[in-house]
Amino acid sequence: MRILLKGGRILDPSQELDIAGSLLIENDQVVAFGPGLNDASADDVYDCHGLWITPGLVDPHVHLREPGDPHKETIATGTQAAAAGGYTTICCMPNTNPPLDSPSLVDFILDRSASPGSGGVFVAPVGALTKGMDGKQLSDLFALKRAGIVAASDEGFPIQDSMVMTKAMEFCFQLDLPIMAHCEDESLSRGGSMNEGAMSAMLGLKGIHRSAEEIAVMRNCLLSLHTRCQLHVMRVSTWGAVEMIRQAKYLDAPVTCEVSPLHFTFTEEAIGEFDTNFKALPPLRTRIDIDLLLEALNDGTIDCIASDHSPHASHEVDVPFEEAPFGSVGLESTVGVTLTRLTHTGVLSPLETVRKLSTTPARILRLEAGTLKPGETPVAQVTVIDPDLEWTLDRNKSFSKSRNTAFHGMHLKGKPVLTFCGSEIYRDALFGNHRFVEA
Amino acid sequence: MIRHVLGIRQLEVREIEHLLELGTDFKKRIVEGRSVPEIKQKVVGMLFFENSTRTRVSFEQAAYYLGMKTANFSSAGSSMSKGETLKDTILTLRHERLDGLVMRHRMSGAATLAARFFGGPVVNAGDGQHEHPTQALGDALTILERKGRIEGLSVAIVGDVEHSRVARSNAWLLSKMGADIRFVGPRTLMPDTMTMLPGKVCHDLPTGIAGADVIICLRLQRERMLDGLFSSVGEYASMYQINRETLAFARPDCLVMHPGPINRGVELDDPAADSDQSAINAQVENGIFVRMACLYWAFGQEGMGKNFPQAIAAAKAVSKPKGKVKA
Repeated sequence: MRILLKGGRILDPSQELDIAGSLLIENDQVVAFGPGLNDASADDVYDCHGLWITPGLVDPHVHLREPGDPHKETIATGTQAAAAGGYTTICCMPNTNPPLDSPSLVDFILDRSASPGSGGVFVAPVGALTKGMDGKQLSDLFALKRAGIVAASDEGFPIQDSMVMTKAMEFCFQLDLPIMAHCEDESLSRGGSMNEGAMSAMLGLKGIHRSAEEIAVMRNCLLSLHTRCQLHVMRVSTWGAVEMIRQAKYLDAPVTCEVSPLHFTFTEEAIGEFDTNFKALPPLRTRIDIDLLLEALNDGTIDCIASDHSPHASHEVDVPFEEAPFGSVGLESTVGVTLTRLTHTGVLSPLETVRKLSTTPARILRLEAGTLKPGETPVAQVTVIDPDLEWTLDRNKSFSKSRNTAFHGMHLKGKPVLTFCGSEIYRDALFGNHRFVEA
Repeated sequence: MIRHVLGIRQLEVREIEHLLELGTDFKKRIVEGRSVPEIKQKVVGMLFFENSTRTRVSFEQAAYYLGMKTANFSSAGSSMSKGETLKDTILTLRHERLDGLVMRHRMSGAATLAARFFGGPVVNAGDGQHEHPTQALGDALTILERKGRIEGLSVAIVGDVEHSRVARSNAWLLSKMGADIRFVGPRTLMPDTMTMLPGKVCHDLPTGIAGADVIICLRLQRERMLDGLFSSVGEYASMYQINRETLAFARPDCLVMHPGPINRGVELDDPAADSDQSAINAQVENGIFVRMACLYWAFGQEGMGKNFPQAIAAAKAVSKPKGKVKA
């Protein structure tokens, strides 16, 4: 089987490549790419004129909700949403029920994600850093790593005790296992449901002060600097947190970070009249934060973009604001929002956009992904993006089980239209039929 | 026509004026022993998910005067205590064919949620720390009666502003009607950023109430001390209590108000609470009439409140520039 992606713009940050050309997939592997590649013997030909051909996208931060909450999402539906969002590799978070703190649960996730009903993407599990994510006793990280976790995290239950965090970092350094840290000082954030600011004052909601994030980012960066443990800061939201990370990088601490589209798109004012779709953790901040997040994306302080796909059932979302869970689904909106908000506005070049959506998250988590180089990934991982396709996000047209999105009704420009992980795993209805020639 | 009374913030000035006109009209009729138009054949649900005596009684009275039937609920003993979501409770009440809801809930925005799923009018009887619109309307009616106007008045709202729905509703209402608002209280009981609330912040009581025409004291919840937001009741009283000594900084005819229940000796001392300057009892009584106004208006009734009351008309005649804060 020879598949030719013909005449597109090949963007591969792993090779600093931005050229016009075609790409050939043979027997589920990328075998060649470049200009002038015109294989008349290809079985299937996809006309990619005007489209980007990129390494399969990599999402470092996804909640698949299984085991425990299959009413929100399953591994099958979550991976299908990932394929539709242009992803070929996703990292799933350990805050399941029970938490992902034992090798057998890692096996379960890997088996389930490889089953025929799933979306066909690679799932790289992130293990719980402490047993039961209680912030006290380390998980059996050696066994978890052997079972296949790519990083460890306590996600939304961040370790508060600095000594526990220090020991976690020392051990993870020894195991060569990155720690993904949601940074929040709970003594400052407890009971809060949105950014502490003008909007929380008006709505009478308890706020989460920006220091709750910044203090935890600073602590974790310092511990990373001193233990040399690789730290990945999840979903930064404040300019102060970005500044702490910039300092840590200046001091050569092994620190990276991500941002989610929610945080570079919306301010606290989006909450309006208590709209729980905009209840995020960390909370949506202010205009100045967005401006400085964009600057940090542009200058590279922010390494990558994560969907932070957080599905919740409608009965969990249609409740008073303070009772609602945090988060928004994002697998199928992240590329569209990123291109609309960052690429088409000049914050990121096309090559940098792909770097932040694919190559860098793969490098941070040492995944065999994020590149088009033949032989560097187990199978071909390729995404085709139409950068100019204009569409309106409709939460009812989704592969995810949940509908809690902050982006419903948003007009977007740019959409993944084809995803290959070995074979074709997703073809968008908006990828015109005339573009596809089957042998 | 169905209308909701969820907060003063969302109301337009003419709507607030209309509600005050209605309230004045209802009061006049009831005090004079005349009849009021009834909203017959309508059942209003009284959903008090949070304890309340005065507001609940006041709404019961209002509904009684309007000839409405009330259906009572409390969270204890209801299906909410069996794990039903608020949305499902509201949908159930809608299909029990209740015509309207009066709702008190400990969460900010709960009334807004109820209005989204309930087919009929919803009147907010206090949602968390967000709004208490009928309290503010009763307070405004009291100020109008005693001062003849709201426009141009200096109003100091004193105390735990951060946790007070009364502070928010009063600030919106009085500022929309042209009063000048100052929030007075310790920094620990004041929101961090107040740029979306209409008023200036002042942490010092004498400065904050200097020249004030009205002082609205807020209730100090004792659990705030346990949360470490303030050291002691004594320290609070020594800095923010309204008494003869501190009242000297305000105008001599300054009105003293309090939404109740009062912690005597904390927010107010006895002489201040019981003096001629105190309007506390009038606030309670006027609460009934503005709640009648809210039910009447929310249920889309017409015909009342057409005659602009003398007090408001007189105030208009001497008014200064209009509407300092836009909704």
